[in-house]
Amino acid sequence: MKLRKAFITAAAAVILVVWSFPVLWALLTSFKTERDVLAYPPKLIFAPTLANYTDVLFGSASLLPNLWSSFIVASFATALAMLIAVPAAYALARLEFPAKHGTGFYVLATQMLPPVGLIIPYYLALQKLAALDTYSGLVVIYLTFSLPFAIWLMVSYFEDVPREMEEAALLDRAGRLRALWHVILPQVRGGIAVTTIFVFLNAWNEFLFAVVLGGNRVRTVTVAMFNFISVEQTLWAKLAAGAVLAMAPVILLGLLAQRHIVKGLTVGAVKGGGRR
Amino acid sequence: MSAAGTVRLEGIVKRHGALTVLHGIDLAIAAGEFFALLGPSGSGKTTTLRILAGLEPHDAGRVIQDGVDVTHREPGERDVAMVFQSYALYPHMSVYENIAFPLRMIGTPGTEVDLGVRDAAAKVRIDHLLERKPGQLSGGQQQRCALARAIVRKPKLFLLDEPLSNLDAKLRLETRVELRKLQRALGVTTVYVTHDQEEAMTIADRIAVFIEGRIVQIGTPNDVFEHPASIVVAAFIGSPPMNLLPGTIQRGSVVVGAFESALGREGIGDGPVTVGLRPGALSFADRGMPGRVDLVEDLGDSSIVNVEVGQQLVKVRTQHRPGVREGEAVHLHFAADALHLFDRASGARL
Repeated sequence: MKLRKAFITAAAAVILVVWSFPVLWALLTSFKTERDVLAYPPKLIFAPTLANYTDVLFGSASLLPNLWSSFIVASFATALAMLIAVPAAYALARLEFPAKHGTGFYVLATQMLPPVGLIIPYYLALQKLAALDTYSGLVVIYLTFSLPFAIWLMVSYFEDVPREMEEAALLDRAGRLRALWHVILPQVRGGIAVTTIFVFLNAWNEFLFAVVLGGNRVRTVTVAMFNFISVEQTLWAKLAAGAVLAMAPVILLGLLAQRHIVKGLTVGAVKGGGRR
Repeated sequence: MSAAGTVRLEGIVKRHGALTVLHGIDLAIAAGEFFALLGPSGSGKTTTLRILAGLEPHDAGRVIQDGVDVTHREPGERDVAMVFQSYALYPHMSVYENIAFPLRMIGTPGTEVDLGVRDAAAKVRIDHLLERKPGQLSGGQQQRCALARAIVRKPKLFLLDEPLSNLDAKLRLETRVELRKLQRALGVTTVYVTHDQEEAMTIADRIAVFIEGRIVQIGTPNDVFEHPASIVVAAFIGSPPMNLLPGTIQRGSVVVGAFESALGREGIGDGPVTVGLRPGALSFADRGMPGRVDLVEDLGDSSIVNVEVGQQLVKVRTQHRPGVREGEAVHLHFAADALHLFDRASGARL
């Protein structure tokens, strides 16, 4: 038993190191000068500087507008995805309608296409609609991958709510919509929180569609950071500072919703898990 | 003109694909009656209850409430309240809000909601727990909360789906008495699903016995116990159930193995039968059906003696410690009117 525990602890420690190494490295790099970054052997002791942060926040290549763009795109994509995904997932989980299984599979199948294969059709479609390099264009494209993901995640949460609870509400004359609002939704709010965060993260971190379908007007932070890498040089310290700034809201969001995330991820693991 | 609270099921058929789970259920329940649907697991009793509630679609037949065909009405339009086996309390709401929910859904004004909730909670003695969440209640308290939520709206029909099955044995006995008293006080027609024959016998005015998707007998508890309509009912009702032995009728006598006893009634022709004897109808005597004591189960205030009669085990219930030992040769006595006879082929009562 002790050996088992020791093994698990060791394994967890290894995973933690592997996972946190790039994050810590980026954090350290963001406080180095470009010279220190390129020093060999790498310097662990160095004179920290905030110059990179001042530069990427307030310098000529400020990332603030790009962080704002990312925020707009990710927020709208998330809000729209959740607004559609919650009722859609409820319908797939609970209602009987023609071609229900076909619909469910179709939603999942859209996730099976490699995104890079969709870039050209998306580009042409947005071009025809004059929606290239617009917020609305990018938000709609983001919906194509965030919506199926959100629907499928939410379906599992809805399925986890005992059917009898809803039936009790129906017998209490709540009707389908009020049963959903008063009884079902409060019980999947952990799931809604988790799904919202994941959808937001996916949109926030998205690069491929943003780089091709965005432009000068709509340039998300992931694309803007890419500009620090050029043929002549790579500005590692600024790139790292940008990455830390881009990571910050996501980490903050994760910490705020940590309780929900853990509960939401263990849904169905134990009876009653993830509810309330 | 029907009184408020009558229920009739006519030819209810329910299929799951190729499998027929209800083969034409016909039932008529009187207003104010406490009616039990009794049967083993998978016999169709819960499905019948759900069809009554409007929660389950069915393939044929009609549901009639107070003379009105409600077959195609939504659950909320039927004026029924249900207590689920799992209670189905709303975990995010307090006990107060749970009980208030049905009233709020029909737009009851706030002060009336408050009165209704407190009244219903007092009836089931949980008025001191109104602020708690269901997760903070014991099983018995949760069950009461579910009951209060069901009675608060004063529906025409109560449906109870094995409401006591999640309680421990002691609480179950207490609650079933209270449930019966509550139903009498409210006078609401109640349909009660259970697989526990003792529960059905003690609580119900009438019982419908379900076996494999069919009602095999409807009657008062006494009827069903004293005059089981078939071997399956006889084998299901009673604890321990009726002893069933192969026998024959010969010239006005019943013969079981080498033992012959007077039949005591006319009109039953010679031929093979199944002989039914309740464990409580048997006693030890100097003369009677010969056997050997296999095992004595001491229940404290009574005993169940397992006696080998030929190749079969016969259970005898005695009200006191029996004066017999395991391995002892005994004779079993029974009165002629305690005999139940069933047709060997069809299983029907003779």
